[in-house]
Amino acid sequence: MEDKLSKEEVLHVAELARISLTEEEIKKYQVELKKLLNEVEKINDVEGYDDDILIANWDSNAELRKDVAGDMLNPKEVLENAPRHAGNYIEVPVVISDGEGA
Amino acid sequence: MRYLNKSITEIHELLKSKAIKPIDLVEEAFENIENNKEYNAYITLNKEEAIKQAKELESKEVDNLLFGLPIAIKDNIVTKGLLTTCGSHMLDNFIPIYDATVVEKIKANNMIIVGKTNMDQFGMGSSSRTSYFGSPKNPWDKTKIAGGSSGGSATTISCRDVLFALGSDTGGSIRQPSSYTGIVGMKPTYGRISRYGLVAFASSLDQIGPLTKNVYENAVILNALVGKDEKDLTSARKEEEDFTRLIGEDIKGMKIAVPNYLMSDIVSPEIITKIKETIKMLEENGAKVDYVDVKYLDKAMTLYQIIAMGEASSNLARFDGIRYGHSKENPKDIQELYFETRAEGFGEEVKRRIMVGSYLLSGENAKIYYDKALSIRDDMKKEFINVFKNYDLIIGPTTTTTAYNLDDPMDDPLKSFMDDVLVIPANMAGLPGLNLPVGFDKSHMPIGMHIIGNAFEEAKIYKLASFIEKELNLDLNPFGGENNE
Amino acid sequence: MSKYIPTIGVEVHVELKTNTKIFSNSINGYGQMANSLTNVIDLGYPGTLPTLNEEVINLGIKAATILNCKIRKVMHFDRKNYFYPDNPKNYQITQARTPIGYDGYVEIIKENGEKKQIYIEEMHIEEDTCKSAHRGTKTLLDFNRAGVPLIEIVTKPCLTDGEEVKLYLEKLRELLSYGNISDCKIEEGSMRADVNVSIRKNEKDPLGIKAEIKNIGSISNAKLGVEKEIERQEKLYDAGKTFKPQTRRFDDKIGDTVLMRVKETGNDYRYFPEPDIPFVILTDEMIAEVIKTIPMLPDERRKKYQSLGVTEINTNKLVQNKTLSDYFNDLLDTEIDFKTASNLLLGDISAYLNKSEKLITDTKLSKERFIELVNLVSNNTLTSKNLKEILVPIMESDNSIPNIIKENGIENITDDTEIRNIIKRIISDNPESVNDYKNGHDRAIKFLMGQVMKETKGKANPRIAMEILTEELQ
Repeated sequence: MEDKLSKEEVLHVAELARISLTEEEIKKYQVELKKLLNEVEKINDVEGYDDDILIANWDSNAELRKDVAGDMLNPKEVLENAPRHAGNYIEVPVVISDGEGA
Repeated sequence: MRYLNKSITEIHELLKSKAIKPIDLVEEAFENIENNKEYNAYITLNKEEAIKQAKELESKEVDNLLFGLPIAIKDNIVTKGLLTTCGSHMLDNFIPIYDATVVEKIKANNMIIVGKTNMDQFGMGSSSRTSYFGSPKNPWDKTKIAGGSSGGSATTISCRDVLFALGSDTGGSIRQPSSYTGIVGMKPTYGRISRYGLVAFASSLDQIGPLTKNVYENAVILNALVGKDEKDLTSARKEEEDFTRLIGEDIKGMKIAVPNYLMSDIVSPEIITKIKETIKMLEENGAKVDYVDVKYLDKAMTLYQIIAMGEASSNLARFDGIRYGHSKENPKDIQELYFETRAEGFGEEVKRRIMVGSYLLSGENAKIYYDKALSIRDDMKKEFINVFKNYDLIIGPTTTTTAYNLDDPMDDPLKSFMDDVLVIPANMAGLPGLNLPVGFDKSHMPIGMHIIGNAFEEAKIYKLASFIEKELNLDLNPFGGENNE
Repeated sequence: MSKYIPTIGVEVHVELKTNTKIFSNSINGYGQMANSLTNVIDLGYPGTLPTLNEEVINLGIKAATILNCKIRKVMHFDRKNYFYPDNPKNYQITQARTPIGYDGYVEIIKENGEKKQIYIEEMHIEEDTCKSAHRGTKTLLDFNRAGVPLIEIVTKPCLTDGEEVKLYLEKLRELLSYGNISDCKIEEGSMRADVNVSIRKNEKDPLGIKAEIKNIGSISNAKLGVEKEIERQEKLYDAGKTFKPQTRRFDDKIGDTVLMRVKETGNDYRYFPEPDIPFVILTDEMIAEVIKTIPMLPDERRKKYQSLGVTEINTNKLVQNKTLSDYFNDLLDTEIDFKTASNLLLGDISAYLNKSEKLITDTKLSKERFIELVNLVSNNTLTSKNLKEILVPIMESDNSIPNIIKENGIENITDDTEIRNIIKRIISDNPESVNDYKNGHDRAIKFLMGQVMKETKGKANPRIAMEILTEELQ
């Protein structure tokens, strides 16, 4: 088994995670990430389990909330921790393309 | 005059009779914290506000056992108006605009928050050395780690600065540092305490819990922290109970299981010996102890890596420099804002885990790793359920070694997981687990026993723990001169 | 006849009509001051957790029922992970594995009368993103919309032209607004459609390269956009060219689609089950309770109205106007002349409402008052000319209808003897018409009736006058 990830593989996961890496960091993570992934591979040695999954140790099913409005923030509070804002809006550098999701 | 080394019932009487005021306790706590500054237990102190609050309490009736008592809060539990950093550069300017539910409960009980404790960045680490604010030091030997991630909370309790601290435990982060520092730390059942306001690391594993110097005080404060919270769908609706109610009861006839894996050669011989001594003592006192096989325990660490890193990669995506926290200065575009904010704000351990977590969930990997992990996790839980059909409690060591040196290398990405290998299974199955000091190694570093209970049976854990505590009667003050009698 | 076969699939997002957001209790509202309808949950603050709005589940059950979907009884939520400034947590809580509804259909009727079922693959519940506005080098974020509940409805790729897309969207809008599930206002963004279009030569060929059309501002644009896109793809293929899978948007100004971006190789959303929300379990009883509250749907209304004697034209007009139709439905348990009622509502009353830009529910025309009015008209106490004179006070004042009639000097002559005298005089004054009538010319009686009305200045009760006139002519 190769003892490190390729540079491209590291850059791919860094892209997913939105983290920029220096050349030095890339070298380091090529080894470190591989070590972790080798460990994670051990899951494939496990046998004999059934198909049921456990997402979290929920004690009960979801209790639904009544559709009644509660307290809200005022715009000033919304902006309090935001590094960039204009008027009542939170600001970011311009986003060209349209939303990916909904 | 010192009061914080007295039992809570004594302090309560003194407050009630007006012999002392909350401000006396607060001043003493800050004096202690100042004296023990070198252990680096705190990231932020709340001195001004604490003093103000203590004075306000003077006009109020002393209405509960926790009234007026100082408490320290791990810095990943949000406190309105009080800096909450999660031990990271990412949030070193973050002033929350709301209180966590546990913080509301603490305030409702008129307890006084003295400060926010040091921790591994976002809870990721096992020695608190990934903190952006320097590592806490072990009060038993300041060249050694205090453990993590709730290292600061463990340290301040071990130093006897205050009676109570809150921690959080995703894969051992309360119990392991408690073991390294010789204190009592409880990770309650998943759902026992609301997670609302706990900055999420791995949502399906995280649980808040108390750290104290003894078992009784631990049970007392747990009483104040639990309960269904409308704001946390995963919090459990349970009948109110007094967690101290079984303390002092005879343990005769209690059935205890010891999983063989927890006593295998992954654990240092000194620790095994100490646990065996304790087991012998329990048997002499009428408990029935059996060694059992519990399947999948040896796989818990792998499951943990997949599930915890997967969830973390998603939970920590919100730190993007837009609404709060660290933000890249003058980013030229949105991509630079994301990539540089996160590169600058997160520490190495966090980056590593987010990247691996993203990888494990990407494309087909979600099926190959994540779904499989959830599947095996379900079987592991079933194994535990089977054990608890025949046994009241499970015991074993909390850690494989005692606290190691602060300057040990940090370049092995697996080390931080290995430190928690014995305590992770309780998180996987959502079970309550407690660390109890049971002795010392030859360099007089504390050794801890891990007691795991069935879901929502914390009271049973406290029963056994208090029994052992009383029998062993150890001096657990690192600065000497204290025992429980 | 084109030599290509288009394959079209439609994804529709509708915002649900709830008081609060899906995962927090802040208000679900439109058109308010920026960032005034949020709390820490909507902003994705560290430590916050979702709660789940009961009404969203109820509306999900209703929508699934209306769209003939099967309903899933055990659901969980999933996280869809992607970084975008309008996505506060950088993951969206959605239902990827266990959508609340699946395997449904809606029926459309094409212009040629042919019926077609549009199959619905699945419909799931999710949260809306925040709204972003681009200003020069900056993008401004307003989180009021963040966390507004959505249902996304995904068809199978079973549509074949722009007309079908249009009819499907119209039908969907009609059903969901009648179900009180969504306002379905495309212009306000409470209904948004994305259309996937590909073409191929042969049924047996694999599906062609897909283009997704977004940003469709109206249903007619959806039709136009699809037609233009099919044309564009045909031209490319005809010229021996091809294209990359892409997202296009409909540009209102040029009336055509323009390229937004070429799709990168498969978006990697890293879905996994949402650990913060336990299973949602629906029982048969819960579902039955919710279904009971579904209002009468358009097709049922049409059937009902026609069975009560309302003309087909009026029936369709009523159902096209939900407020009027709801008003009309409120009368269904009374015994009035429904044909007259529909004429009144769609005639003078609609004219008044349009002119004054009011909804019927904003006028003084209560259910009781309207019944009174219908009865006066249907028993000919009030002529349509009379009605026009007094409509404004009826719609706007608190005065009773009899008073309004009196105050406006409109009093029908219902005294038999008085009318009989007038009629006798008219008969003797118009012997030719009487002769015509006797010779079977029906038109003559209309002329004589007109003379009666003229003589009485329209005050004679038409029903009574006609009775007497017929009698006297015998």
